[in-house]
Amino acid sequence: MNESLLNIKDLKTYYFTAEGTVKAVDGVHLTINKEEVLGLVGESGCGKSTVALSIMRLIRDPGKIVGGEIWFEGENLLSKSEAEMRKIRGGRIAVIFQNPMSSMNPVFTVGSQIAEAIKLHQDAQKHEIKEKIVEILDKVGIPSPSERMEDYPHEYSGGMLQRAMIAMALSCNPKLLIADEPTTNLDVTIQAQILELMRAVRKEFDASILLIGHDLGVISELCDRVAVMYAGKLVEHTDSTTIFKEPKHPYTQALLKSIPRLDVETERLLIIPGTVPRLINPSPGCRFHPRCEYAKEICSKEDPPLIEIGQGHSVACFLYGSIDKPNHKHR
Amino acid sequence: MKSRSQAEEEKKTKVYKPSRATQLFDVWRKLKKSKMALAGFGIVLFMTLAALFAPVIAPYDPGWMGSARLAPSPVHLFGTDASGRDLLTLVIYGARISLYVGLAAVMLEMFIGLVVGMVAGYFGGKIDEILMRITDVILTLPMLMLLIVAVAMFEVRSIHLIVLVMGVFGWPEMARYVRSEFLTLRETTFVEAATSMGASSWRIILRHILPNALSIIIVIATMDIPWYIFYEATLTFLGFGDLSSPSWGVLLERGYDFAAYQWWIITFPGLALFFTSLGFNLFGDGLRDALDVKMRE
Repeated sequence: MNESLLNIKDLKTYYFTAEGTVKAVDGVHLTINKEEVLGLVGESGCGKSTVALSIMRLIRDPGKIVGGEIWFEGENLLSKSEAEMRKIRGGRIAVIFQNPMSSMNPVFTVGSQIAEAIKLHQDAQKHEIKEKIVEILDKVGIPSPSERMEDYPHEYSGGMLQRAMIAMALSCNPKLLIADEPTTNLDVTIQAQILELMRAVRKEFDASILLIGHDLGVISELCDRVAVMYAGKLVEHTDSTTIFKEPKHPYTQALLKSIPRLDVETERLLIIPGTVPRLINPSPGCRFHPRCEYAKEICSKEDPPLIEIGQGHSVACFLYGSIDKPNHKHR
Repeated sequence: MKSRSQAEEEKKTKVYKPSRATQLFDVWRKLKKSKMALAGFGIVLFMTLAALFAPVIAPYDPGWMGSARLAPSPVHLFGTDASGRDLLTLVIYGARISLYVGLAAVMLEMFIGLVVGMVAGYFGGKIDEILMRITDVILTLPMLMLLIVAVAMFEVRSIHLIVLVMGVFGWPEMARYVRSEFLTLRETTFVEAATSMGASSWRIILRHILPNALSIIIVIATMDIPWYIFYEATLTFLGFGDLSSPSWGVLLERGYDFAAYQWWIITFPGLALFFTSLGFNLFGDGLRDALDVKMRE
């Protein structure tokens, strides 16, 4: 088994709003091994980004991490001081956000912003920093980097800005790169390029990547393992081949059936009935049960625990484990 | 990592790089479009140069005395005042005092307003609540009354005291604008990105947010300068000013008694005040458009 880099145990991050407590992340367990790419998939508002922000300890009011542990390289990030966290942010863990067009400060050149990131974490001479920026911009595929580093963000295209953001994130050789829907706001061809770049980056920098997204297809292309989240809970956690071949959780199955495929003739795409539940005071039991076609009585009463049903394959569903297995075919 | 053809294509397109100088030029180009703004800039520049080079430009020494109350003539373009001094010289030297008052008070206003606005806007919460209530209270105090009270209390008629009081009580509006800018900017993705790269709060405030709020700060400061000049002139005219610093207000106060007989004695200092105020306002308006600042009217 690989050595783990990041280990999240029973993470609970709630938002205390005027309407009530939003349990955005409610008891999530996750492990990312060294040099591994883990995909975190789920619909909008299921808490994926909150997991990312919790790791960085960037949850702002009215949000709060109310429980759990986040172990990173043998240290619990939740017991770190703010000053210690600042060293970790950008230095050992870096984030790429989903909107490259607004992720760079409009009043500074791209190069100076990367320089700033480097200066925050490393002692380096001016010319060394410049060389480093040119080198790293070149690595992420920015043409004539020594000239383009003098440009302002508005002079870059969206795809190039995302490349620059990746360069900035990698400038201090982080151990973990969190990519929060890095391709969502880009058009399809650029998406493919950015994914290609992420793959190359992974080899080059030996960093683990936590790739957050809602597109199982995109995610599985890059990831070793995939975790599926639904309404603040982890529902399934397995490797990226198994998730397609043998999805266990009804939600994962439904999610897969709702992806259009070219190789299978389908009548209609599946639509998961109902909507994502409100996370303010959710109904008891499994969060998916109101939309689940296999829902049983117990599903509306108790919260299913995440249980291991195979080699590195965990599911949170009462259909498995002690209770009889479902007999249905998928695909 | 990148398809070859695309990389080559991007290489071919000539990269246009604006330096800081061209950015300034860009603002100037936009400013130039408006005749009013240009006129404002001209007046401001003219007054500033007059103040800076007063000893060179002024036809007489400010202490020089001749016949009193001479009408404007080629010898004395603006005439002479009640004690026989050349009025043009006095108006030119008065620009020094009046501009000093305006600029120094605005500097103070900017300093306090920035600190209060930045802290309140960025940190929010309780500290924001406290600072904004203080701001509200100070905003209700009439400036002129404060100035009169201060002069009476300290029994010093010093131009510096007047500047100090104006600056110390003049910042609420600036603080409010800065706060609202910070409230908006702290929610931006680039601030989040900077935080995630490990930047500290103060680094984010000063390096990442402040430069983005600079335009609005410059515009407000420009528009506030004539207000301070006016306050000082009004205060002096009411008899609470520093008579040893011959600002335009002092000239008005001294000339008031002769207004009915020798019109030029108060007309020229008055016109200087009027045009300076007009100039700064037009210039500020133009800057607002050129820097593309959104402000409540």
